[in-house]
Amino acid sequence: MSTSDPDNSSEFFAQFLDDYYAECDEHLTLVRRNLLALEAQVGQAQVEQALLDELFRSFHTLKGISAMVGLSAAEQLAHHMESYLRALRQSETILSAEGVEALIAGASTLEQVVAARRNELPLPGITAVVARLEAVASDFSSKSAQDALTDDAGGKGLEPDGAKAEAGARDAVTGATARTWRVEFVPTPALAERGVNVNSVRARLQEIGELVQAKPQVRGKGEIAFLFVVVTDADESVFASWGIENLTFAPVEETATAGSPTLPSETAAAQEPEPGGAPGTEPVPQSRMLAPSNVVRVDLARLDELMRMIGELVISRARLEGHLGRLKKSVSAAEWRALQETSLAMGRQLRDLREGVMRVRMVQVGEIFERMQFVVRDLARESGKRITLELLGRETEIDKFLVERMTDPLMHLVRNAVSHGLETADERVAQGKAAEGKLTLRAAAVGESVLIEIADDGRGIDKGRVAARAQAKGLIGEREALDDAALLELICAPGFSTRDEADRGSGRGVGMDVVRNTVEELGGRISLETESGKGTRFTVELPLTLAIAEALIVSVDGQKFAVPQSAVQEVIEVETSAVKALENNEIIPYRGGVLPLVRLARLFELNDVRERAAFHVFVIGSGSSALGVAVDRIIGQREIVVRGISDPLVQVAGIAGATELGDERVVLILDVAALRQSAANR
Amino acid sequence: MSKQSDSEPFILFELAGTTYGVRSRFVQQVEMVEHVTPVPNASDAVEGVVFARGQVVPALNLRVRFGFEKAPFDLRSRLIVVNTGGRVVGMIVDTAREFLSIPAAAIGAPPEALTGLSGKYLEGIATLDRRLVLILNLDEVIDIANTQTVVDGEPEAA
Repeated sequence: MSTSDPDNSSEFFAQFLDDYYAECDEHLTLVRRNLLALEAQVGQAQVEQALLDELFRSFHTLKGISAMVGLSAAEQLAHHMESYLRALRQSETILSAEGVEALIAGASTLEQVVAARRNELPLPGITAVVARLEAVASDFSSKSAQDALTDDAGGKGLEPDGAKAEAGARDAVTGATARTWRVEFVPTPALAERGVNVNSVRARLQEIGELVQAKPQVRGKGEIAFLFVVVTDADESVFASWGIENLTFAPVEETATAGSPTLPSETAAAQEPEPGGAPGTEPVPQSRMLAPSNVVRVDLARLDELMRMIGELVISRARLEGHLGRLKKSVSAAEWRALQETSLAMGRQLRDLREGVMRVRMVQVGEIFERMQFVVRDLARESGKRITLELLGRETEIDKFLVERMTDPLMHLVRNAVSHGLETADERVAQGKAAEGKLTLRAAAVGESVLIEIADDGRGIDKGRVAARAQAKGLIGEREALDDAALLELICAPGFSTRDEADRGSGRGVGMDVVRNTVEELGGRISLETESGKGTRFTVELPLTLAIAEALIVSVDGQKFAVPQSAVQEVIEVETSAVKALENNEIIPYRGGVLPLVRLARLFELNDVRERAAFHVFVIGSGSSALGVAVDRIIGQREIVVRGISDPLVQVAGIAGATELGDERVVLILDVAALRQSAANR
Repeated sequence: MSKQSDSEPFILFELAGTTYGVRSRFVQQVEMVEHVTPVPNASDAVEGVVFARGQVVPALNLRVRFGFEKAPFDLRSRLIVVNTGGRVVGMIVDTAREFLSIPAAAIGAPPEALTGLSGKYLEGIATLDRRLVLILNLDEVIDIANTQTVVDGEPEAA
């Protein structure tokens, strides 16, 4: 036994806790999703069994791992939810609305408990929620009351009823040869290196029998031990056969706590008699609950590192291509062709690799949507409004990094919609609207971007009020007409808020200015549509590809710039003589109509060389909002690695980021949306 | 009286004939000045951006920042990249090649008589063997709010 170093132990435990939090996150995400699905099935005669099974498994696991870290509030909550789910699975009760509510409240509280522990804050109270859960669970037979007395003793049949043989073996375990063992395991770094840790021990124990209890115990000198109580009919040689040091076991003779007497009655009453279950043979591996799934949990930082490495590869390949080009004269045509082919093949493979890694980072937007579902319920209940939430396109995938950054801003928009946008049922009916307000969250992949919309059919943004407030703050002149874009500008101005009281629903922490800044920092755009009495819609457009993009390289006054290819509709060559002046603007004939022109040199205060006979233009936007941006020369198209520019000293309008073309010189990337804005403001 | 632990290593650089010091724990690297890409519409003191360790970093022209005459870059010019307060910023100086440990006791407060903004950029003045080293207040130097060029000791809108 070697955990003598207290620092080692506490470090170990800290790592263990991190794993616990990560696992909780995963299970709670699954729980949230399933509870929403469950809600839809309230009142149905037959509730989807697979759903109940999955929820049961989640709560069972949450209970187990919470016990392992000694977070008993979480353990208790999970236990009660598990009990209710058990009853539901065994069709001892019909799913009721209150039941789902209680489960949702339970899951929320569980989440809060874990979060509180994580942030070292006092834990929220759980008695009220537990009472609710007990109430719904005790709506039926007394069996579940018996359940509540013994810890995990009655747990069985974690797989769907289809796995009969397994259930049979489980029953067999509770037969006459079953014994209760107290097993103690003290982890050490040496064992951990071999892959032997408390989770693997727990897994083994569950393979051979029924894990009744699991809890940690802190001993002197910071040593930690884990105690398990397991019911198994396996011979004690099984423990020895694992060859784990620091694993001690001893039979437990008391029958009460082990709950063995209750086991047979549970089995008899609730399970059909098993024909083929072979009594007490080899340990049956437990399938779904502990089986390593085909999913790997990956640190986002590692994926960032992968992307960075790919970025370096892209640059190296570009350099290679440059060198190859210069070699052309020195090698034979055949050799050069071979070299070219290989280089091109590498380019293709790199692109595939890049796309592969990007896919790994993608998660479904649904993750955020589900969280919002709970927020909306709470807010609706608090404000007494009736709200239907419509979620569209939740399978749309976006980069995990975007999910992390956008969760708070999107939450803010949703809160705003519920608090300010949607009216109460009475107000709505008085206006001839349906009593239930509708909030729609929609996600869609469009080209190289992902679109996220938050729309409500409420009262729309009060332009008059916003204008009045803006005037009072000196932001606009009198009687200025406000279109949606101007409205957005105003409400996103720092410190601008039309509510005097900061109500719980919104107005604190994240403001509209932070929302817009976050969106723009991610290279995206936010826009607003609102109509008085009809509703409001916020649309956030975010680029899918964070790191690598196709770009057009242009030259102005001897300086190179990069323009994201996705923003460019077309490139054309224009003769200076074709340019016509119209007041302050320049236009050129274009596709049967005219195209307004803006000169990049002018926008950036660079030298504008006018004596050329012809110059190049790249067209952004389309239709009536098409705009031509004039440069000296369009040099070509390149794949670039996008690097952010975050220091305030160099955050200027019109520049979205920077890249390098292989010669270690910084090339600035243009912000097309801002260019358009500057052109408009001239 | 001054213990070893009261001395702190500094990197010294020259600007318009005066010696300044920066605490070396804030200095990420010192490079020659190469390939500075100008950033349109940035303030005058910002020479542009450069790549430093794979990151795009702004390069401040300290001469402009402190109101001195601009001087062309030569082989002795250096870019001192500092990392402080979560920001990485480069400063272009005339030359930089000395490391020196300066005891805390040798650093005194800048005299009240220093007028204008210059006093703002200094944390203190070190007196060593009749040599004066002006200790920079990095956070003020790189603060965007101070992006105004100094003319005759008075701020002028950029």
